[in-house]
Order: sequence, then structure tokens, then C-alpha cells
Amino acid sequence: MTFFSLISRLIFTVVFILLLPKIIERVNTYQTDIELIHQREKVIKLIEDKGLEQFIYSDSVSSFGSYNILKNEFINIEKTNLKNTWNFIEVTDRIIEGEIIKFRILSYSFKVHGQNYLLEIGKSAESIKSAEETTKKVILVFLILFICITIASDLLYTRHLLRPLNLIIKKLKSTASPEMFDKSPVNSSTADFVRLNQTLNELMDKISASFSREKEITVNISHELLTPVSIIRSKLENILMNGNTDENVQIKIEESLTTLTRLSSLVNSMLLIARIESSQYLKEETFTAAEILNDVCDEILPVAENKKISIRRELSGSFIIETANRSLLFSMFFNIINNSVKNTAKGGEILVTTVSENDISRIIISDTGRGMSREKMETLFSRFRSRQGDESDGTGIGLAIAKSIADFHNIKIDVKSEPGKGSEFSFTFFKNS
Amino acid sequence: MNVLIVEDERSLAEEIASFLKKENFLCETALTGTDASEKIAVNLYDFILLDLGLPDYNGFDILKEARESGNEAGIIVVTARGAVEDKVKGLNLGADDYLAKPFALIELLSRIQAVARRKFQVNEQAIHIGGFQLMTQSRKILFGEEEVEITRKEYELIQYLAFNRDKVLTRHQLYEHIWGNVLDDRYDSNFIDVHVKNIRRKLAAYAPATWLETVRGIGYRISSDKD
Repeated sequence: MTFFSLISRLIFTVVFILLLPKIIERVNTYQTDIELIHQREKVIKLIEDKGLEQFIYSDSVSSFGSYNILKNEFINIEKTNLKNTWNFIEVTDRIIEGEIIKFRILSYSFKVHGQNYLLEIGKSAESIKSAEETTKKVILVFLILFICITIASDLLYTRHLLRPLNLIIKKLKSTASPEMFDKSPVNSSTADFVRLNQTLNELMDKISASFSREKEITVNISHELLTPVSIIRSKLENILMNGNTDENVQIKIEESLTTLTRLSSLVNSMLLIARIESSQYLKEETFTAAEILNDVCDEILPVAENKKISIRRELSGSFIIETANRSLLFSMFFNIINNSVKNTAKGGEILVTTVSENDISRIIISDTGRGMSREKMETLFSRFRSRQGDESDGTGIGLAIAKSIADFHNIKIDVKSEPGKGSEFSFTFFKNS
Repeated sequence: MNVLIVEDERSLAEEIASFLKKENFLCETALTGTDASEKIAVNLYDFILLDLGLPDYNGFDILKEARESGNEAGIIVVTARGAVEDKVKGLNLGADDYLAKPFALIELLSRIQAVARRKFQVNEQAIHIGGFQLMTQSRKILFGEEEVEITRKEYELIQYLAFNRDKVLTRHQLYEHIWGNVLDDRYDSNFIDVHVKNIRRKLAAYAPATWLETVRGIGYRISSDKD
């Protein structure tokens, strides 16, 4: 809208400036003519009042002429033998003291005592032109001033008018999940914006209500599932501990227990994600990135060393993580680094680094592992989706958990990978506002 | 020791009771909150295993009632909800420990024993296995006077096996005991194998640790026969 008014104004200005010389010329000519006619009236009146003798005082003199020093105006009266009456204005050249000067001249014939006279009043084209220039300049300056003032006032006004809209956009941008939407009313005299804000509030309420319903269902299903799992587990463990069962039966029971573990692990993961997404965890711990990454690496180190994989750490002590949940972040980094260990062949290397640039802090975990295809990367963080060539044991939901923990902390995860060339996970921390 | 099992799932209550009986506990079960509340008021228990999700009663109320009437039994709360706030609330109301369903029976036993040690203030006892001493208070392993260099996790693992001597523990049971409160699916049988391998290597520098057995297809055991 602002853009449109700006453009239309510009077009108007350009057209006006292009037409300006013509307009001014017209106006000026018209003005000059009025002046000339006015002067003619004055001269005629003078002649009527005081007689022609004022100008032509004897019969031997046939004309009267007067011009000012700069030769830009003159008046001339002379006897003439004209038959018809003259009353017109034209532009002609006159020679005054040997100089050819262009004049705009009013010619007027009149009769006194039976004698025809011709009155000429002239104004030099140059003086007309210079008046034109002055007018042009004044108009241009005013025009520019006018344009600037209107644009500035328009901008200020539209900004003031659109302030509530910008506020709403800002609120939407900073909203990671519907329940986090700032529901405060927007101060505006424009009813439309107030209504927009109200509608958004209602929408967010609806969405978060359906979200929390879904999460509640997940939590309830999980409880219902965990109780039977619990019963089967206890029964199997009791059989296993009896000790008098056949060795092959014992192995089968252990296998059943492992399967049961997978089941409860899945249910627990579902439960965990539902809890994270409904913000049931607190974020009130502060610690350094080095601290938590060292803890994670230490935990994984025995398994990595067993595979002859080295974990190199380049951690800055000044990278502080604020308002976070330590055990959730621990799980996130654990899942990622553990995933790297699983996907890296014997003798490989995992690099854990912290990078800080201005306001942005990053943690980068890269490995020399087998990497991933583009298709695999696309489904990397999705839940319960089977991934081709995934040989890792466990439920494969670890990365989905990592993603929901990252979202909960407003951390952005980026993955770079190519088959055979390793993977790189980068975690960007934004200042919590 | 007397244990009251408060659990509305009869089948689960029976399994727990059958397991604890073998460990020489005297067990009673209460399938409803009302039943539990009456039994706690009348009888004296050393331990109460309390499921928070009862149909007729809020589990926390039973806990509160018990503590308010001066009951000093060791109380372990059990829930399938696994929510952090349940754990915090339970402990604040006077529970001694917290277990999330599904738990290993062995883990339950270990928790009961830990609470008992804490309650009855058992001083440092050393567990003797094949020339090594496990110092349960300081969490060290000594060979004679020498301390075996061992990580905290490795110590936890070996002590858990030692407390359950002659029982086969599955990898998952061991894993759960050591990394029990973790919030992910990192169960990885490889973790336990690597740790056992490291423990064996570290112990072997002092004396052969043949008593730490691998039970094919099932898990690990500390065997008294080879002690």
C-alpha cells in the first residue's frame, strides 16, 4: 500500500516537472498580457484626462517614445494612417539604439480629434523569460518540499497505523508452539487489528487444546501399555530365576525379555516425547557446554575405545548454556554421539567442537562414519519410521527424541552428510528472548 | 522382613510376592487402596511397596496417611506414569525410593536392600570375592591393600552382581540398574559387554577373575563356586 502511493506520487511528480516549462510559459504570457492591457488602460486614461499633449505636444512631432534604461520595457505613441482598428498582442523584434531585441508588444489604435494614433507597449522577451525562470525555481522548490513532507508524514502515519500488525507478526514469529503464544491484547484504535489478534488467540487456544488432548491420549495409552508389560516382565523374570528350567528355555525367555524391553522402550520414548512437547520439563539449569559434552563423551568412551574410535574434543570453557534441562540435553547429545559411534567403522574419529560467533553459539559433532543418503537424512528425525540399512539395535527413536529436546530448547539441528564421507550434526543455540 | 504389596493388578502382585518370598520376605498384598489403608493402620510392616495408580484411592494419600500416623516403614512408590513430578512429590511426601513400571524384580530387591541399609545404618561392609574386597561405602575395590583402578560405572556394575551373587542378571537388568534414570532408548547390550570386558581386564592384572561368569545367551553372574 505504501509502495503503491509512493509510486503514484513519483509518476505524478515526473509528469508535472516535464510539463512545468509549458505551463509556466502559458501562465507567464497570460500574466504579461494582463499587465500590458493594464498599462494600456492607464495610458488611455491619462490621455483622456490630460489630453494627448502630454505626449505629443506639437503638430510637428509625430511620435512619442520612452523606454527604460535596461531596455526591457517601452511605450510608444505615434500618428498613423491606419484604416482599421488595431488591438492585439504579438512578439516581434525591435531595434533600439542599434540593438535587436525581442519584445512582446501590445498594439492599440485610437482616434483623437479625427487623427488616428497607434499605441505600443512592449515588454522584452528576456525579462519575461527571467520572470519565468524565477517562478519555475520557486515552484520546483515548493514541489520537492511538498513531496518530501508528504512522504515522510505518510511513512510515519502508516507505520503508526501498521504498528499493531507488526506486533502481531513479531508475536507469531517468536511462537514455537501454540501454548507459548502471547495472548495479551494489541493496543490499536483499528478494530480490524484487535479482531485479528483475538482470532489468533482463539485459534491458538483451539490448536493447543487439541494438542494437549492428543498428548493426554498418548500418556494414557502409555500407562495402559506399561502395566501389562510390567506383569509379563515379572512373570518371565521369575521363571528365569527359578533356575531349574532348561538352558534353551532360559535363552528363549531372555530373548522374550529383550523384546519386551524394546516394547517398553518404545512406549517410554513416546511418553517422553509427549511430555517434552507438552512442556512438562523444567528449564532452569545453567552449565557450560564443555561440562555436559565431557560427561557425555566420558560415558560413551568405553564403547568407542572398544571399536578403536577416538573422540576428539575442542571445547571452549566460555560457552554457557542457560535456562536448560541438563538431563534432557545430556540425552540429546548422548543420542547423537552414540549414533555416531554406531555408524563409524573401526579406527574412525568423532570430533566434538564448540563454535562461538557473535551472538550465535554452535556445537558441532562430526564423524568419519558411513554417512547417509539424502533420503535417509529426510526421515532422520521422524518417529517410528523404518530406516533402510539401519543396523543399530534399540528402537531407532533416539534421534526423534533428540529433535524434540532440541525444539523444546529452541536449538536448531542441521545435518550435513554424504554416503561414505561421514556426518556432521550442528546445534545452533539462540539467545532465549 | 514384612512387606506389604499395594498393587491393583492381582497378577503383578502375585509375581512380586512370589519373588520376594524366595528372598525370605513375608508378603501380604492389598489390591485396593481401602484395603491397603486398613492393613497399614493395623499391621506393622518393614516395607510397603505402593502403586500410585489405584482405582479407589490416590496413592499419595496412602503415603501421607502412613507418614502422618508415624509409620516408619520403608516405602517404595511405584508408578506407570514415570513423570518427574510424581517422583519428586512421592519423595517429598516421605517415600524412600521410587520405581517406574516396568521394573526388574531384581531391581526392586536391590532398592529394598539399599533402603534397609540406609534405614538401619549399616556400616561399611566389605564383600569378599576371590581375593578382592568390594567396599560398599567408599565404592572401591581392594586387592589386599592395593586399590584397583576402576570407574564408578564399573564399580556399580560389579557391586550389583555381587549383591545378587549366584543369580544370572540379564544385560538389560544391569543396564537399567546403572543407567536407570536415563531419558532415552539407549539400551544397548554392547554397553554392558564393553564394561564387563574392561572390568575383567582390570581385575586380571591382580588375580584371575573367573568368578565373573558370562552365561551364554542370558547375561552375567558372580558365581560362589569359583570364588
